[in-house]
Amino acid sequence: MSPTQLEELQQATPVRPPFSLAELVRKRPETITFTILVGICIAVSIANPAFLQPSTLIDIGRASVVMGLFALGVFIILAAGGIDVSFTAIAAFTMYSMTVLVQSYFPGMPIAVILLLATGGGALLGVINGLLVHHLKVPSLIVTIGTQYLFRGFLLSFIGTVWIMSLPPQMGAFGRLPLLQFESANGATITLPFYFLVLPIAAVITWWILNRTLMGRAIFAVGGNANIASRLGYDLRKVHVFLFGYAGALAGLAGIIHVCANRQANPFDLVGTEINVIAAVVLGGAKITGGTGTVLGTMLGVLLIVVINSVLVLVGIPSTWQRLVVGVFILLAAAFFVTRQRKK
Amino acid sequence: MKTASKHILIAAATVAALMAGTAGTLMAQQKPVIATVVKISGIPWFDRMNTGVVAYQKANPDVVATQSGPATADAAQQLQIIQDLVAKGVNALAVVPMDPAVIEGTLKRAMDRGIVVVTHEADNQKNTQADVEAFDNADYGTALNARLAECMGNKGKWTTFVGSLGSRTHLQWVGAGEANAKKHPDMQLVDPNNESFDDANATYEKAKEILRKHPDIKGFQTSAGNDVLGVGRAIDEAGLSGKICLVGTGLPNPSADLLESGAITAIGFWDPQKAGMAMNAVAKLLLEKKPVTDGMDLGVEGYSKVTVKKGAGEGMLIVGNGMVLADKATYKQHMF
Repeated sequence: MSPTQLEELQQATPVRPPFSLAELVRKRPETITFTILVGICIAVSIANPAFLQPSTLIDIGRASVVMGLFALGVFIILAAGGIDVSFTAIAAFTMYSMTVLVQSYFPGMPIAVILLLATGGGALLGVINGLLVHHLKVPSLIVTIGTQYLFRGFLLSFIGTVWIMSLPPQMGAFGRLPLLQFESANGATITLPFYFLVLPIAAVITWWILNRTLMGRAIFAVGGNANIASRLGYDLRKVHVFLFGYAGALAGLAGIIHVCANRQANPFDLVGTEINVIAAVVLGGAKITGGTGTVLGTMLGVLLIVVINSVLVLVGIPSTWQRLVVGVFILLAAAFFVTRQRKK
Repeated sequence: MKTASKHILIAAATVAALMAGTAGTLMAQQKPVIATVVKISGIPWFDRMNTGVVAYQKANPDVVATQSGPATADAAQQLQIIQDLVAKGVNALAVVPMDPAVIEGTLKRAMDRGIVVVTHEADNQKNTQADVEAFDNADYGTALNARLAECMGNKGKWTTFVGSLGSRTHLQWVGAGEANAKKHPDMQLVDPNNESFDDANATYEKAKEILRKHPDIKGFQTSAGNDVLGVGRAIDEAGLSGKICLVGTGLPNPSADLLESGAITAIGFWDPQKAGMAMNAVAKLLLEKKPVTDGMDLGVEGYSKVTVKKGAGEGMLIVGNGMVLADKATYKQHMF
């Protein structure tokens, strides 16, 4: 190597490529989600300054918990190139069965055990999904459409269809347990419930699994190309069972939190909301074909959907227009995404 | 070989005899069958209606009254059930349509076959001989709003919730409510017709948002059965029970806690048990070719002096006076 060449090399290293927006967007697609989110918040605050008050933040935080837990599960499956539409049925199944179980057989069961059992029950149903996806070798969309009907049908036929309006007291108390509480100007009490903490904890655990464990590598590898991943020695069966089991566990947890927060167990609840959750994950930058995405992006996607859904009245959009506006927003964000991502 | 064939012969003869026997009993059962078809089976509202059908059967042993319905709120599944019943040859259908438009054709075919068709909660159903309504929708909306206005002291901001903007009866109720509120110039309607999709959680989120936008709001008038639960929870959690008035359609049993806490001012409803009995009573009258006249007593509480009008199609519209408004003091008389 001649000195001049060496000089050139030395010179070249410190020169960083000029900052490029396209590059940033390609590497971290969630910046788009973040920009849209901030943009909407600014626009709404201009339209109605009432948006800028702490209770808004708390309401949005509380409303994101159940959707956020669902979204983490969907994201991890999407990252591995699959899709799950049965998670709402898993949540409905575990939350209703748990409530019935506690109410009729173990009225004194502590709330920690209830949460653990619901999570475990959800994981079990998720594992059924995982085994079916792996052994039937059918696209996970088909399998989970089937299990959605199966779980929901089983719930409504064999466990019950009656709404439980008076929850066991420990569940009601958990739903009302405040993390933060203060009084607004008009004398209304504003509460950030304790169960809000579950979402950041679940997000950190999911991040850790995806970025710091061998399983995380395996998930992204399978999402990139399942055949190659399997030839590289990743055990596909293990990955599938883990994925769906983990998503099921999150769904079970989300279900029981939904019940505690809502103060009623309605077996007809939740199923039908899966599209919103999948939209949130995709808006968070995860590709529907798998192999990409981040936990942070997923959380931003959830916030985006929750914010859009919860500012329509504040901005004064009449009811007839609300669905139209939500649809337009989702399409715009998605279109923006796809065009930015294509410009590599 | 010979014995085997003999056995088969005996078996065949037995089966034939058995079949003849069943056919005989079927022929013997000449009692007319009135089949009630509900929107969804297994939910409290239609379980309550079933108790009315059972009670009607007990009181009228000369007919067979049954109730069935799909497991999910699905118009197509309900259509399938009605088609099966028509094929089975029931004598009368008493239907609570999920979506009146979806079953128009099937109901027409049923009537062409001589089956009596009665409907409920579907005053726009064309192919029916009689549509039974518990009350006049405008009267109901007015009554809800009058109760709300009374609680609000006839002044302040108020808003309305409907199940969906496609729900005709809900819009009639809030429309009549708005007309009533015009009598009180100090009542100011803000952000009306919020859609709840009958989802208590979604209603809760929306009610929270309204409380944030209008911190001085004084009243809510709601329509779908779960709306009072969602709005009630928002009021209860904000510690505003008793300071904000909430009047809407709701069922006594689910609303009990919030009525007790004062978050719900009053609930309005009609008793599905009585509606089921009234539908069956009308079906029986029509089966016996007896006329249904204005001011008639159907022999069911709340339907003792019905109004008979011309319906949306050829049939008639029978309107009862089965409206119930219950508050903390009175809801215990109607636990379901």
